[in-house]
Amino acid sequence: MGFMVAFLFAYVLWLVLTAGTKGMLWNGQELIAGLIFAAIVGYATKDVIGERASRFLNPAKWILGIAYAPVLFWGMVKANLDVAYRVITGKIRPGIVRVPVELENDAQYTILANSITLTPGTLTIDACPDEKALYVHWINIPPGLERPENSEPVSGPFEKWARRLGE
Amino acid sequence: MGLIVKTSARAIIPLIGIFGAYIVMHGHLTPGGGFQGGATIAGAGILFLVAFGLDEMRKHYNKNLYSALEGIGGLAFLGAAMLGMGVAFFYNTLWHNGPFFNGKPGTLLSAGFLPIMNLAVGLKVFTGLVSALTAIALYRRWKS
Repeated sequence: MGFMVAFLFAYVLWLVLTAGTKGMLWNGQELIAGLIFAAIVGYATKDVIGERASRFLNPAKWILGIAYAPVLFWGMVKANLDVAYRVITGKIRPGIVRVPVELENDAQYTILANSITLTPGTLTIDACPDEKALYVHWINIPPGLERPENSEPVSGPFEKWARRLGE
Repeated sequence: MGLIVKTSARAIIPLIGIFGAYIVMHGHLTPGGGFQGGATIAGAGILFLVAFGLDEMRKHYNKNLYSALEGIGGLAFLGAAMLGMGVAFFYNTLWHNGPFFNGKPGTLLSAGFLPIMNLAVGLKVFTGLVSALTAIALYRRWKS
């Protein structure tokens, strides 16, 4: 199973890289060479990519991922403007907060941590699955939120998205 | 390394591998070639070593296999160079009158023995760099 996932990832990237060899499409040589190299890469990395990676082959998950892109982009726009405001005015209250999260697997933690890091003003420092928490450096902790009970004040709706994207 | 680095490495290592293979295979058409692609793939191996640690690397790294593949890479390069020995060393006989690798310039199977040499150099550089870095990582301990 790990072979199929790594093979398909690799083959899709090969197709993206070599598009345009026959008009807008691919000629036969590129397609066959891609099959061979993707098979080699898939065989070499079948243990690395993990047994459960096959759940990302589900098309429902791709649609969810596409739906997540504008949410993340809008969060980045808002947060960048907020950081620009903080650069000009200097109103900051930095600190590291422990954010308890309700996530189960590695992919969910990775998606949430990367989303938090991508939205400026917050920076994930560590993910601790055994205590179900993230440690986040926050540029401006609102008073009274030094010990948040959930990830809502830090990351907005991202935890819900990460839970659904990674399950 | 931490959980996030490990999970990201799981997703990225196959992609680095296929990108390196792309660079190697298109060495006669686009910038890059054997050394650049081989070093890129070796980057994937070193990412594995750094992200998952030495114990995991020890389970997946086979010294004899890598050593043999490095030798095969060198021999394949030499073999491709010897193909046109009837005229001269490094004579590109595959391009002038060979059965394959003499397609229209710009396609994948053109340029005679260059794709074979790029693959050989890529294999040699990948296995050599990964072996060297693994050997350095395995070096006994800090003192003595």
